[in-house]
Amino acid sequence: MGKPKKVMIADDDPGIVDAMSVMLEFEGYEVSATLNGAVLLDMEDELPDLLLLDIWMSGMDGRNICKQLKQKAFTSKLPILMISASKDIERSALEAGANDFLAKPFEMDELLKKIERNIA
Amino acid sequence: MEINLPGGGHKDIFYNSLAPMLIIGTDAPAYTMLDVNNAYLSTTHTTREDLIGKSVFGVFPANPTDNISRNIERTIFSFEQAIINKAVHIMSNYRYDIPIPGTNDFEERYWTTSNTPVLDSNGAVMYFIHSPANVTEMYKLAEREKAGVAALKHQQEQLYATFMQAPVGIGIFKGPENIVDLINDPLCQLYGKTREELMGKPVFDVLLHTRGLGFEALLDNVRLTGKSFKGTGMAVPLVRNQRLENAYINFVYEPFRETDGSIAAVIVVATEVTELVIAKNQIEEAEARARLAVDAVGLGTFDLDLPTGEMITSKKFANIFGFEEPVPRNDYVAVFHPDDLIVRKLAHEQAIIAGNILYEARVIWKDASVHWVRVEGKVFYDAAGKAVRILGILLDITDQRKAKEEQRKLISLVDNSVDLVSILNMDGVNSYINEAGRNLLGFENEEQVTKIPVSALHAPEHFEQVEKEVIPMVMTTGKWAGTMMVRHLQTGEIFPVYNNCFRIDDPESGKPIAIGAVMRDLRPELAAKQALADSEQLLRNITTATPIALWMSDENGAVSYVNQTWLNWTGRTYEETLGGGWLEPIYQEDRQIAKEKFSSDSSAKVLFEVEFRLNHSDGTIHWCIANGQPQYRSDGSFSGYIGACVDITEQKQLQKQKDDFIGIASHELKTPVTSIKGYAQVLEKMLLKKGDVKEAMMMNRMDMQIRRLTSLIGDLLDVTKINSGKLQFNDAPFDFNGMVKDLIEDLRRTTEKHELAEDFNETGMVYGDKDRIGQVITNLVTNAIKYSPAAGKIIIHIALQNNEVTLCVQDYGIGIPGDKLEKVFEQFYRVSGEMQHTFPGLGLGLYISSEIIKRERGRIWVTSREGKGSTFCFALPLYVEGQQTNEN
Repeated sequence: MGKPKKVMIADDDPGIVDAMSVMLEFEGYEVSATLNGAVLLDMEDELPDLLLLDIWMSGMDGRNICKQLKQKAFTSKLPILMISASKDIERSALEAGANDFLAKPFEMDELLKKIERNIA
Repeated sequence: MEINLPGGGHKDIFYNSLAPMLIIGTDAPAYTMLDVNNAYLSTTHTTREDLIGKSVFGVFPANPTDNISRNIERTIFSFEQAIINKAVHIMSNYRYDIPIPGTNDFEERYWTTSNTPVLDSNGAVMYFIHSPANVTEMYKLAEREKAGVAALKHQQEQLYATFMQAPVGIGIFKGPENIVDLINDPLCQLYGKTREELMGKPVFDVLLHTRGLGFEALLDNVRLTGKSFKGTGMAVPLVRNQRLENAYINFVYEPFRETDGSIAAVIVVATEVTELVIAKNQIEEAEARARLAVDAVGLGTFDLDLPTGEMITSKKFANIFGFEEPVPRNDYVAVFHPDDLIVRKLAHEQAIIAGNILYEARVIWKDASVHWVRVEGKVFYDAAGKAVRILGILLDITDQRKAKEEQRKLISLVDNSVDLVSILNMDGVNSYINEAGRNLLGFENEEQVTKIPVSALHAPEHFEQVEKEVIPMVMTTGKWAGTMMVRHLQTGEIFPVYNNCFRIDDPESGKPIAIGAVMRDLRPELAAKQALADSEQLLRNITTATPIALWMSDENGAVSYVNQTWLNWTGRTYEETLGGGWLEPIYQEDRQIAKEKFSSDSSAKVLFEVEFRLNHSDGTIHWCIANGQPQYRSDGSFSGYIGACVDITEQKQLQKQKDDFIGIASHELKTPVTSIKGYAQVLEKMLLKKGDVKEAMMMNRMDMQIRRLTSLIGDLLDVTKINSGKLQFNDAPFDFNGMVKDLIEDLRRTTEKHELAEDFNETGMVYGDKDRIGQVITNLVTNAIKYSPAAGKIIIHIALQNNEVTLCVQDYGIGIPGDKLEKVFEQFYRVSGEMQHTFPGLGLGLYISSEIIKRERGRIWVTSREGKGSTFCFALPLYVEGQQTNEN
């Protein structure tokens, strides 16, 4: 095992951010988080290895963020795993360019499986 | 003087001759006796010496009876006659009594004496022989005979008188010509002729009309044979009082015998019995007429001998009883209607007391037809007062009975009619008004009906209508019908009636004889109409006031009524709304759905229900739910709907708010649940890493509970989506058996108690939302586990049938009552009753399952027996490439 993989969590709910951080750190990931979706589009350097993006980001649609990130050359290769409370979002999320989708509430193992599958 | 008598011998003869002889000389008036024989002497008690030479009258003077018999005179006359005529002269039967010797008495003697002159050769009378014969005995005999003859003659005369005066006609017709020898007055009268016309004439020459009728032969027969003939009531044509008529006569022809026994005549004894015969004929005729009459009117007659019970009946009697010919009494009794035997029995018992019999009863003929008979009769009693006989008649009254029954029905109908029924005579007075009519118009009794003129039944201004309109109309056209005003006789109340008048014509002459009327009191009707109008107004007020639109439609689906509420909502007129007009204000998107739903429910005649949005006249749009209850006529035929339309805009809004709330709430719930779940799972892993297995297990159980919570939240969200139509499907073809196998594998891990048995047949691909269909199977299996706490086995069947994939979950649990089977797929349905609280859940699972299966074009159903278990099944169409399209 070399350098730990970096996973970024973007969710406007601090509880989720915290719980997921605990889980991923326990699994050996380097975790960063943001409660504000806008900052994601401003990322200039140090991209994470995978982005966990909530669909609802305090007034911003996670799918729009995902679409923009995928359009920007710098972030277009960034694997994005979208998370939503609604399973119905799955299709639109994938259409928006997300690499995978996970509905809340999810099993921890499932989350880890999807991260491993998508992380570069 | 000396007389030479021839020979002495002669003298002896003379003297001894038994005939007394006296020879007397012709010397009148002395008439000297010349000789005498012994017989003479003996007869006259004299001696020869007393007589010879003496005058005869000297010796035999007139005796005391001579003044009567005058025999001296007669003797002298005889002597003179003999001498003069020189021929014997006989004196017959004269009386000359002879003195009885030794007494002064005389013996009565009668004599017949011959004086025979004896002539000399010159022819002169020399003497004559006087020879008296004592004929006393003969005379007396002759006298007695004479007396007898006289007596006989007297008797005959008396007989004749009797004969002539007899009250019967008597006549004697003599000889073959039947000459009237004798006829009395009654017979003359009978013949209508006088005695002079009849006497001495052949009777048939006088009674010309009786000729050739056989009477001659009858008379001949009697005369020739001696046998009498008796005729009774024979008709004899006679001309009497210048009129030819038939006299009826009882008569006897008796032979009239002569003394020698020969028959020369016939005695006719006749009595006229014309009156009797006529009377008798009249009786017979009357009887015959009566019999004819009896037969003509179909009367049967009977004569019942009470002591013997024998009954003589006429043929007609038998016919009425259904027999060809008269039969014994018991045979008649046998055909009585069994119910009427008691009537007959009572009538007979009563008859003995009352003296007559009268009853009506039914008799049953051989052909089973029933006939009514009336028996009427009179009882006859003997001297001891014992009833011995009943004579009577029998009448077939079947038709009468029927007619009477019909009439009775008609009368009953009229009597019991609640309407007035009357007959108005042409004189303006009613001859009949039924009870209802009398009550209606205030007649106190039937008598008043015929007394009170029709004009009194109306106010003058209203009677004018009767006079000028009604009666002329009835008389000319035969009828009149309409409303008129009448006046109550007692209260004076004037009220309207509907009167149906018709002219009654004489069936013979065709002339009007009366006016019939059927009159109905319009007050109740008017009151009812008013009540109806009031009630209608009330109903209208209520329906107008109600916030619910009400409607009716006919069997063809055309709306026939809406209330004011609907009109207020839509701002349209009543007329615009009827028929199919009600659809127009419906929100365009919903209009077709509403129309099709109504059309299909209407043709299926089932409860109609549809929701639609309605354009209100103020421009707002309101949600409505319309219901219609199918209506049926009394004959069971469908007549349309009666329904309501409720504004559910507010409910819709509330529903939406609720759905929105549940959606947001459950969405928001998911976030903390996700966090908790994350912490729990991390903690479990941490504890396992540390080796705290027990604690880790507890964390696992916590996670299980979170899973349940997640599932409940998921159900709430699903229902919300279903209700708002936002349930999404990600349909794609998938391998059905594979999916089920994986699912069952997972489910096995959730239960230790229950065995999930597989009964899988190969199926194929199904096109649908794999997760959603899996959700259904999970729901069915978890239900099966939940509701079979006692039984361990659950069988999952998969089969392919008719291009349908069928999956059934069979359990052996508590089952579902039959009346609840249909409800299990409804929202919030839960096991009811005592068990309710022992089975957790929101009651949404089957509802969601059925919605999912329906949305996936499948069917879902259940079969169950309470206490035995349930089998929940669904069927989905098999995927055939190129056929299905994603409808979502």
